[in-house]
Amino acid sequence: MVADLKRKRIVPLQQGVALPSSPLKPLSAPPLQVEQLTLQLGGQSVLQALSFTLPTQGITSLIGPSGAGKSSLLRCLNGLENHWRGSILVDGANVRHWRGGWDQLRRHIGLIAQKPVVFNASIRANVAFGLQGWRTRRRAEALIEQSLHQAALWDEVKERLDAPATTLSVGQQQRLCIARALAIKPKILLLDEPTASLDPRSKQLIEQTMLQLAETMPLICVTHDLEQARRLNGQFIFICDGRVIEQGACEQVLDQPQAIETREFLRWNVCDCD
Amino acid sequence: MRLRLPLDQNFFGKGLVVLLAVPALLLPTLVLCYIFWQAAPVLSWGFVVGATESAGFGMADGIFPQLLGSLLLAVMACVIAAPFALSTALYYRAYASHRQQRLLMVMFNMLQGVPPIVFGLCGLVVLVNLFSWGVSLLSGAVVLAIVVLPLLVLNTLAALERIPQQYSEAGAALGLSTGAIIWRLWLPESGINIMTGLLLAMARALSETAPIMFTATVFSGVVWPDSIFSPVTTLQTHIFYLAQEGNDAQVTTIAWGSAAVLVLLVAAFGLLSRMLQKIGAH
Repeated sequence: MVADLKRKRIVPLQQGVALPSSPLKPLSAPPLQVEQLTLQLGGQSVLQALSFTLPTQGITSLIGPSGAGKSSLLRCLNGLENHWRGSILVDGANVRHWRGGWDQLRRHIGLIAQKPVVFNASIRANVAFGLQGWRTRRRAEALIEQSLHQAALWDEVKERLDAPATTLSVGQQQRLCIARALAIKPKILLLDEPTASLDPRSKQLIEQTMLQLAETMPLICVTHDLEQARRLNGQFIFICDGRVIEQGACEQVLDQPQAIETREFLRWNVCDCD
Repeated sequence: MRLRLPLDQNFFGKGLVVLLAVPALLLPTLVLCYIFWQAAPVLSWGFVVGATESAGFGMADGIFPQLLGSLLLAVMACVIAAPFALSTALYYRAYASHRQQRLLMVMFNMLQGVPPIVFGLCGLVVLVNLFSWGVSLLSGAVVLAIVVLPLLVLNTLAALERIPQQYSEAGAALGLSTGAIIWRLWLPESGINIMTGLLLAMARALSETAPIMFTATVFSGVVWPDSIFSPVTTLQTHIFYLAQEGNDAQVTTIAWGSAAVLVLLVAAFGLLSRMLQKIGAH
């Protein structure tokens, strides 16, 4: 996989050309701005000239049929896919010129996968896994507690932080993944169907966590659950066949969709946008 | 009663498969039984641990020096080959382009097909004569390391392939560098499987005779080598020398005894690797 990441670096990183914290960046730059993003995988067009902007806080729900390119979009934003065309600006800085390269970009934009992936280590070690330097990881008690609190998992695991992470339920593992991502203090968080196949209680807890986090940072959440999108509120982007069909405030798009494709999808869960 | 055709076909098909499979299973079993039957008169603890430096070219006494020499060569070969194999496998998985991966795979498959005696000959010319290392433990171990390297690389690659891709992606998503992913994710996850491959490579090294015949071994006279530049005696070559004394019944029995011990040694490494594999699966 890392070989794939390396191979996909078609456009070389020009480190130090422009820094995210550069004084030259626009004062009111949005946290994330995507312009004409195009991605091809195996000769197939996955994303087609996709553009949108994230607000400084709140949740952006990314909705669309399977194969619409939602997960691929998140992978582009996080830098796991990096042979796309177009531009991705984070705080006004082009991610291709990100200081420290793609690894540092991934620390700035956290990504949580659909299926929770916990490492074969203790709960404590899992939360601290992304921290740099073994000394930092060993002295990260306060950060671990804070991250677990943020992910609404602290009360359930505080007595067994040294237990293997694999002993947690799937819902707990997903919250552990959120805590692990939060421990590296990302400025933007991407969640790829974080509540898919979870029980209602875990789903509710994760939604609460997301709503709390959205008060301080922008989140993008891929979901198939329209009711969940309504609960999360915020911005709503409907994607079909790699294109943004419609975007706007969640209530507005769900109640009064403008595009015929959105109406079809909301009513029959199908999208014919060819 | 009329037989249904599918059943009929199935019966004959199965019969044919069993008929061909039975000899494949039976013959090695019979050979092993025969070895232990022949070896039975000499097999004892004293035979395994007995040692004198020169008496009768190891014909009359125990085979401890030969056993020790075989183990030393196998372990040293794997110690030499392991870092190269690990680095090659990591390069293949983490950094190599598709073209380089194809090239490496062809190269290692070809290297596996090269007769070990060819490596032995190269070792004789380069290590023994050109480098003046002489017939020694080091020369033999280096040649054996080259022989087992392709196997070790392929085993290490197989161990790395078993790591789920989601693991690497989860690490990358946390901003871990390639080095950190290798060090903190891949190596701990695949450690046991890499060890399994190492044990299998040792078993392979133990079963090689040709490459060490003119690079590492002497007939007799060594119990414990003085240094890595000293020659050793090994079970493989010991059996070879004793087998040439085919007219002497006692010597032939010792050859069978040595063969039985060698088979047990290889089997022990195989079993140990299976045990590790099971632990790894858990």
